[in-house]
Amino acid sequence: MLFNSIEFVIFFPIVTVLFYLLPHNYRWLMLLGASCFFYMWFIPKYILILLITIAIDYTAGMLMEQWTGDARKRKWCLVVSVISTCLVLFIFKYLNFCSANLVALARHFGWAHPGKVLSIALPIGLSFHTFQSLSYVIEVYRGNQKAEYHFGYYALYVMFYPQLVTGPIERPQNLLRQLREEKPLQYDNVANGLRLILFGLFLKMVVADNLGQYVDLIYAEPAKYSSLDILVGMLFYSFQIYGDFFGYSTIALGCALTMGYTLMDNFKAPYQSGSIQEFWRRWHISLSSWFRDYLYIPLGGNRVAVPRWALNTLIVFTVCGIWHGANWTFMIWGFTYGILLVAERGLRNIHLLDRISNSWGRRILTLLNIAKTFVIVTLLWSIFRATSFENLHALFSALWHNHALPAQLHVAPLAWLALALFVCMDLILRQRRFDEWCGKQNAYVRWGLYAFMIFAIIALSSVQHYPFIYFQF
Amino acid sequence: MTEETRHIIRKIGMKFLLLAMVLVVLDLVYRFTLYPKDREKYCTLLTYSRIPVQDSTDIIYLGESSNHSCSPLDEDQRAISEMLGDLMPGHRVGKMSKDACHAGIFYDMLRNIPRKSPVKTVVVTVNMRSFSSEWIYADLERPLQKEQIMMKKAPSLYKRMLLAFKAYAHWSDSERDKLVREGLKKQTLHLPYYFPYKSASDWDHAIGTQCYLYNGEKVSMDTIALTCHYIKDFAYHLDDGNPRIRDLDKIVRLCHRRGWNLVFHIMSDNMDQIRTLAGPDLEFLMKSNAQYIIRRYEPKGVAVVNNQYLVRDRDFFERGFPTEHYTQHGRMASAERIAERLKEEGWCAQN
Repeated sequence: MLFNSIEFVIFFPIVTVLFYLLPHNYRWLMLLGASCFFYMWFIPKYILILLITIAIDYTAGMLMEQWTGDARKRKWCLVVSVISTCLVLFIFKYLNFCSANLVALARHFGWAHPGKVLSIALPIGLSFHTFQSLSYVIEVYRGNQKAEYHFGYYALYVMFYPQLVTGPIERPQNLLRQLREEKPLQYDNVANGLRLILFGLFLKMVVADNLGQYVDLIYAEPAKYSSLDILVGMLFYSFQIYGDFFGYSTIALGCALTMGYTLMDNFKAPYQSGSIQEFWRRWHISLSSWFRDYLYIPLGGNRVAVPRWALNTLIVFTVCGIWHGANWTFMIWGFTYGILLVAERGLRNIHLLDRISNSWGRRILTLLNIAKTFVIVTLLWSIFRATSFENLHALFSALWHNHALPAQLHVAPLAWLALALFVCMDLILRQRRFDEWCGKQNAYVRWGLYAFMIFAIIALSSVQHYPFIYFQF
Repeated sequence: MTEETRHIIRKIGMKFLLLAMVLVVLDLVYRFTLYPKDREKYCTLLTYSRIPVQDSTDIIYLGESSNHSCSPLDEDQRAISEMLGDLMPGHRVGKMSKDACHAGIFYDMLRNIPRKSPVKTVVVTVNMRSFSSEWIYADLERPLQKEQIMMKKAPSLYKRMLLAFKAYAHWSDSERDKLVREGLKKQTLHLPYYFPYKSASDWDHAIGTQCYLYNGEKVSMDTIALTCHYIKDFAYHLDDGNPRIRDLDKIVRLCHRRGWNLVFHIMSDNMDQIRTLAGPDLEFLMKSNAQYIIRRYEPKGVAVVNNQYLVRDRDFFERGFPTEHYTQHGRMASAERIAERLKEEGWCAQN
C-alpha cells in the first residue's frame, strides 16, 4: 500500500483508532495483522519471503543467547543467519543482474554459456527489512540487545508498517523496546504525528511529483533538450528524490508517532552540507549509520593506516551503491562517493575556513562549500537516475553539446513555486523537525499552514502516478 | 477510560471539527478557482454528456472509436450516429463517443444527462471485446477512470482528492500484463463438445507457440499473432461476474428510472477472419456470448440489435488487429439496422 493512495487514507485512521481502542496486550497482534495487510497489498505471496528472513533471524537470535558461553557456536550462528538473510537478498535482487552480466560476458568472449536471464520480481522493500533484520542479529551477537523470544514482537519489529517498505532502517534497541511499552493516548503524539504526515504528503505529492514529470521527460530523451533544460532536469531530480524520500520518511515517522512510537530521523537538511562527509551524515541517516556500524567500523573504520582507510571507504560506498540497486550505474555512483570522500580527507589539511577570521568571509566560504557540495551531489544524482550508461552518456552529451538549442522544457510556474517553498522549508527546518517547529507557531499561523498544505496536497498535486523512488530498492 | 483520556479525545474531536470546517471553506475556494480548469483538463466526457442534450436531441448514441470513420479514403466520412440521424428525419441524434469507452463510462455519461432533457431513446454500443481482460485492464482505462471520478456527483474538492490519492487504476505495465494473464487463466472454457484447452490462456499459449492454425494450415508469425489477439479478446463466457455486464445492468436500471427507451447495439466483429483464423470454436463462443446479451436484456425491455455478423471482412478498415473500425458501408449497414429496430419498436416516427 502506498502512503499517497486512497487505500492508505482509509487504512491509517482505522489502524490508529483500533490501536488505542485495544488493550496493550492485543495491540501487537493488531499491528502485526495490519502490517501484513499493508505489505500484502503489493504482491501477497512475497510475504512468505519476509517470513523466511524473520524466522531465520528470530531463531538465530534465540540460539545466540542460549549459547552465551560458547563463542564459536555464536559466531557460526551469526554467520549462518547473515548468509541466509543475504542469500534471500541476493536471489531476489542480484541474481538477475549477475546472470545477465555472465551471459553478456560469455557472449563477448564467445563462450558457450547456458545461462539465461531469470525474470524474478523484486519484493517491495526487501533491502530495507533485510537490513533491519540483520541489525537485530548483529546486535544480539554483540550483546547490545537481548534476544526477543516473543515471535510476534520480533515479527512486528521487522514488519512494523510505517517503516516496512522504505525505512527508516530501525535498530532493535530503539524499536523493539518501544513495541513492548504501553503507549497511552497522548495529544502531543497524535498532533505531531499528523503534522508530520501532512508535511510528508506535501513533500511527496506537491514537490516531488510536480518536479518528477519534468525529470521523466528529460531522462527519457535527453538528446531532445538543450543544455539549460538538462541542468533544470538535474536540479529538479535533486529535489525530487529529496522530497520523495524525505516525504516518505516523514510520513513513516508521523504514522508511528500517532501511536506513540518514535522512529529515527532519516534526513537533516542534507543539501545544506558543506562537505560530502557531512552530506552522508545528513542524508538517509538510518542507512549511512547502518553501514557505519556494521561494515565501516568492523573493517577498521578510521583507526587504520590511511591506505587501508581509503580502501574501507571505497568498499563501504561501493556496497552502499549496490545496495540501492543491481545496476552498474548504482555501483559507479557509490564508488564515486567513496573516491570523493577519500579526496576530501586528502584536502582536509588545507583548513581554509580556519584561516579566515572575518565573519563575512567565513560565511561566504561556508556558502561556497554548500554550493560545491550541492553541485557534486546533483551531478552524481544523474548517475543514480540514469537507466543505463547509454542514457547517462546521452544526458551528458546533451548537456555539453546542446547549448545552442532553444529551451524545449516548459516548466509550469507551479513546479518552480513548489521548489522555492521546499527550499524555504528546508532552510527553516535546518535544526528542527517540522512537527517541533509547527507546534511552536501561534494557532493562526498553524492552521493557516494546515489549510494551505491540505489545499496544495489535494488541488495542486500531480494526478499522474509516481511511485516512491526508493520503493524499487 | 480515564478523565484525561476523555479530555484528549474531546480535544482531538474539536480539532477534527475545525478541520472539517476548514475543508468546507477549501472546497468553496477550490470550486471557484481551480476546479473549472481541472474539470476541463480531466473530464472531457462531461462535455460529451451535456453538449448533445442542450437542444432538441431525443436520441443519444453512445459509442467509441468505432463510431467514426478511420479511413481518409471513405467518401462518406459520417459517423454511425450521424448516419442514424439522417436515416430518421424528424429526430435529432446526439452522439457521445470517445475512444475506448465501455459500458462503465457510458453509465456515467448517461447519469450526467440533465433530468429535464428531451432525450427519449438511448443507443448504447456493446463492443464484445470490451468484456475481455485485455480491455478491462487496458492502458486507456486510466484516463477514463480519472474522467469517471470527475463526473461523480460529489463535492469538487473530494473529487480532486480522489485524483490526488490515485483512486483510479494506476497499475504499471508489468502489473497490467500480470492482471491480463491472470484474467485469461481464470477464463475457463466450457464448450458442449471436446475442446482441448481449459482456458483462454492455454488456448492462446498453444496457438502462440506454433506456426499452425487450428486446421493445420502453416501461416506466418504475424497471422499467428493476430489469431492470438482474437483468442485473447473473445475467448470468454459472459456471466454476472463480468464487470461490464454489471455496468450494462446499471444502464438498464438508469434508463428505466428515467423512462428512456434503450437499445443495445452489438457491434460487428470480423467474423470472416475469425472463422478462418481461430476456427468454429471461437465463433461458437462469440455467438453464445451475443445470445447471452439478447437473453439477458430483451426480457427487460431492451431492444438488442445484434450486428455481430453484419459487416463483412471487406468492410473492415484494419485487418492486422482486431478492431471494429468499419468503412462507410459497414457504418451505414450498422446504422440502418439500428434505425430499422427503432422503427419496429415504435420509438421513432415511421416515414
